[in-house]
Amino acid sequence: MATTTATVSISSSDLMPGSNLSINASSTLMKTGLTTGLEVVEMGKNTLTVADSHKALYEGGVAAADRDQASWVYICNSATDDTYYIEVTLHDTVIGSLYAGDWMFMPYSQGDNAAELNLEAEGGTCPYEYALFATSKTLLDSDQA
Amino acid sequence: MATINATISINSDIMSYPVRINKTMTMKKAGSCHGLEETSGLNHRKFSSTDAVVIISNTEGTADKASKVYIRNTGSDKAQNFYVSLNASASAATTTESLGKLYGGDWMLIPWVATAATTHDFCVVPSTAETMTLEWMVFEE
Repeated sequence: MATTTATVSISSSDLMPGSNLSINASSTLMKTGLTTGLEVVEMGKNTLTVADSHKALYEGGVAAADRDQASWVYICNSATDDTYYIEVTLHDTVIGSLYAGDWMFMPYSQGDNAAELNLEAEGGTCPYEYALFATSKTLLDSDQA
Repeated sequence: MATINATISINSDIMSYPVRINKTMTMKKAGSCHGLEETSGLNHRKFSSTDAVVIISNTEGTADKASKVYIRNTGSDKAQNFYVSLNASASAATTTESLGKLYGGDWMLIPWVATAATTHDFCVVPSTAETMTLEWMVFEE
């Protein structure tokens, strides 16, 4: 069984005067409702241009067996210009914008067949890194005759 | 201007070689080098039913800014979860605005556009009526 651990630390000494902010959380990512670790990972690095418009990082049309499972997505905008950002959209719903240097980490259950995760660069070309940690991934049928 | 740093570390042995992700971001205003300045503070709430609950309303944010949302299931039970969605009336597995499930100990940190619509509320649905606890915090411009 594989072990995948995700840890976050959020800190600030001046957001709330007189009170240091210090949040630390760690979780071992498990398969759906189980105590066995995830066994699927896909990760990589790419670039997105403004002209690309919306592009699907992950399609919603996964196999039925892979929907509504425990999966996790990490995305980081590696751009360095503060005005460049990546708009992250779940199908037609904008989640938010990753500005230069920002990262996000969220569960992504792909519960709906149309729940694709889209990226769109704004301001300029954005290099980005991504990873998907999943319970399962069923390969889709091939078009090969 | 405040300085808020968030660091993620992911370590995994899924592959035959170690997977390591380490990244620190400083939360900044949209298109700016200046840091975020406001927060909801850390919220902590117990849930004892399977009813859908809006924990963060779109009215708490300002649209098209660089807000961030942190949410964590503070429990330890990996069989129970909160289903998190971006829709005041959703959180069912079959809605396109459903993000995913936070099992015991799981956390998430994502940007939030805070568009003025209920489709941008954060809604959670506990998987059980047994008491579970969630904590969350919003960082805003």
